[in-house]
Amino acid sequence: MTERETGGETAGATESPVVLEMRGVTKTFGATRANDEVSITLHRGEILGLLGENGAGKSTLMKILYGLYRPDAGSIFMDGEEVEIHDPKDAVERGIGMVHQHFTLIPPLTVAENIVLGAEPRRGAALDLEGAIKATEELSERYGLRVDPRSRVADLSVGVQQRVEILKTLYREARILILDEPTSVLTPQETEDLFSVLKELVADGLSIIFITHKLGELLGVSDRITIIRDGRVVDTVKTAETNERELARLMVGRDVLLRVEKKDVEPGEPRLAGEELVVRSNTGAVVVDGVSLEVRAGEILGVAGVDGNGQTELAEALAGVRRAESGHVYLDGEDVTASGADARQERGLAYVPEDRGKKGLVLDFHLYENNTLKTYDEPPFSKWGWIFPKIMRRRAAEALRAYDVRPPDPDARARSLSGGNQQKAIVARELSGDPGVIIASQPTRGVDVGAIEFIHSQLLEQRSEGKAILLISLELEEVRSLSDRIVVLYAGKLVGEVTPDATDEELGLLMAGQGSEQETTA
Amino acid sequence: MSEERREPEGTRSPAFRRFVGDTVGALAFPLIAIVISFLIGAVIMLATGNNPLTAFGALFRGAFGDPLAIGRTLLTATPLIFTGLAVAVAFRAGLFNIGGEGQFFIGAITAAWLGVSLGSLGPLGMALALLGCALTGFLWGAIPGFLKAYFGAHEVITTIMLNFVATYLATYLALNPLRSEGLVPGTATIDLGARIPFIGLGLGRANYGLLLALVAAVVVYLLLWRTRRGFEIRAVGLSPGAANYAGMRIGLNTVLALAIGGSLAALGGGEEVLGVYGKMSIPFVYNIGFNGIGVALLGRNHPVGVVLGAILFGGLASGAQEMQFSTDVPLQLADVLLAVILLLVTATKLVELIVGKRARALAGTRLEGGL
Repeated sequence: MTERETGGETAGATESPVVLEMRGVTKTFGATRANDEVSITLHRGEILGLLGENGAGKSTLMKILYGLYRPDAGSIFMDGEEVEIHDPKDAVERGIGMVHQHFTLIPPLTVAENIVLGAEPRRGAALDLEGAIKATEELSERYGLRVDPRSRVADLSVGVQQRVEILKTLYREARILILDEPTSVLTPQETEDLFSVLKELVADGLSIIFITHKLGELLGVSDRITIIRDGRVVDTVKTAETNERELARLMVGRDVLLRVEKKDVEPGEPRLAGEELVVRSNTGAVVVDGVSLEVRAGEILGVAGVDGNGQTELAEALAGVRRAESGHVYLDGEDVTASGADARQERGLAYVPEDRGKKGLVLDFHLYENNTLKTYDEPPFSKWGWIFPKIMRRRAAEALRAYDVRPPDPDARARSLSGGNQQKAIVARELSGDPGVIIASQPTRGVDVGAIEFIHSQLLEQRSEGKAILLISLELEEVRSLSDRIVVLYAGKLVGEVTPDATDEELGLLMAGQGSEQETTA
Repeated sequence: MSEERREPEGTRSPAFRRFVGDTVGALAFPLIAIVISFLIGAVIMLATGNNPLTAFGALFRGAFGDPLAIGRTLLTATPLIFTGLAVAVAFRAGLFNIGGEGQFFIGAITAAWLGVSLGSLGPLGMALALLGCALTGFLWGAIPGFLKAYFGAHEVITTIMLNFVATYLATYLALNPLRSEGLVPGTATIDLGARIPFIGLGLGRANYGLLLALVAAVVVYLLLWRTRRGFEIRAVGLSPGAANYAGMRIGLNTVLALAIGGSLAALGGGEEVLGVYGKMSIPFVYNIGFNGIGVALLGRNHPVGVVLGAILFGGLASGAQEMQFSTDVPLQLADVLLAVILLLVTATKLVELIVGKRARALAGTRLEGGL
């Protein structure tokens, strides 16, 4: 099915009957209005994009629809009739299905078992396994969702697991499907597959709400887009009549630089290098398997790849947080393999971890404590074992202001900040020490567009100052727009190096592990 | 010049307001719990035909009514401050130290031994004995720390088990190698010169161990919030992931937090021997280590809170005697009150149900972090 045909359907879809309407939905948590008089409509056979930054209120709205939250005010209509949804069971009975960002499958069970779980076909008192397999086969046939009902979920790729999640909702006869950030775990090809499945589903009469903060993909798949900002609906537009720039402006509330300008910088000496690194995960599995890389002064080396291919462990081994099983790490030509994170940091290595809540910040620490999380034991913050909170506070106040962290209050607790500001607080800490080498692992994961813009420009500024930057990211766009060279990590190995102008297809194949042996060095 | 002066003021006043807010919030919750538990106590008294006002009056009189009562309260509170701090320090590192009882016994037997052997040195002997307590307690407390850091043994299990080892070990030592000739089974009596002196002021048997306990609370405060070690301990406790990311050694801090806790509880045992009993007789006082858990819980694992919590424990214990003496309300009601207070302090959701969300919001984020 081509895009043009979908466009043709769009016009038809808006004419078709309304299956769901949420009217004036309001939900407050303490002092924050997560949803403020939000109204959306969903027609039969359409894909409605729900676009908004993290924290805009998309998830709250969908949790209300799925019965996980009760709204303070407002009503929900299905097929023109007012309904009350008390809990997810209620929602499922009314034909609402939700595919969460984090899957809810049970890995050791088979596909068929997972699909029928909780609504199993029975033969007498026993589970009718054959019936489950048959039901699964029928569903997957009907919607073109290819899966093997007998394979174990643990053995499936993430893309296929997502298909199982969708089948699970279809088995429960969902008429309305909610997808929460469904592409965040997929390769470009898997995303394409998902989109064609979704188009098939709506052609069959289903209606889909597609939640995302990625502008580009909505343009390819949705019929209409409702934009939410700060808990309110800003606008609802027809996909055919809008573009990326307009969506970005509606989402953020101002004009946004979608592409960053990159100055030409002549790369210098290698500053960070990994040599034949082998690293184990917490479970003991080898997840980085002989990786060698080199980052030179004044360049950004991007590491692309689908989540869970060894990115975290690679970053941690380079930063000294995790011990490498074998191999070497060099900082400015010196072998630092034996030294820990503290020693490497003192040699000018900054590391922005991918998980700000569990690693980057002590959430219950004040911002000034977080700002000195690595330098608390160095002068002027410390002398003879004592620490000096006053000096920490003063220095933090400067850093927070310089990096536009809101609020710039050193006594605020990290937990009270928004995700974007938490991330900026980490960037402030890591970059204000004037490091020579920066490892940035998913530096913009789950932060708002404004913060993304800011963090990107900071990284580029560091690059033009001659710093060596290793950028690990799951967002292809990010890797592509910032990097000078891109390597692809697949199953713990570097499977290829490309230039930033490589096609999606080229990168996607590498990310899926195909084309491993034929290195496409540009 | 004027601008420089303005700036710190500008940053201090919201910080100061937050400090006041934090303090009020931290106190609000235990206070609510205390009020509710007294109401429940009143109901029990009414149901058993007693006048709650008379009984509570007697309770208060017995706890704080005159210098002698105050002295009794402080005397009971003193070792609880030590054992409460022992729990609090470990908790700040994310560890549950249930081993206060055993550590207390280790301190007591150390003090009984050193107090007798160094008794001729007078006050110096006392000081050395207390140092010895801190040292043996440190080593004893380090054991579960090592087991946790290097073998993954859960500290709750190991500290509980080590309680048995410590109490029986101390009992054995007191009854065998260190046993005195006297009638009462236990160690020999320590020379008066090597004992912790009484405070006087009409406070009865309250001794300068109280001062030592207060100093210990200040030291714990400074350790946690003014030293590198404390910074690491708190970071490890709140977020091991972030501490590891920042290059801190989680194992070392685990060992140290439990060891420091051990030396605090042991000082409590030493204070009881050197300040109150003058020897370790068998049976010795029980449950002071365990009650330290309640004290720390009530004090939200903050040194100031621990001191206040210990005084509440002490007050209830000494007031209950007066209450039993002048009314028909039995001594055990004080334990019931304490139990209800602790229950409410732990069961935050229950209090929320009783007094509404506002009070809970007042108590603030610390609650979530605290327990």
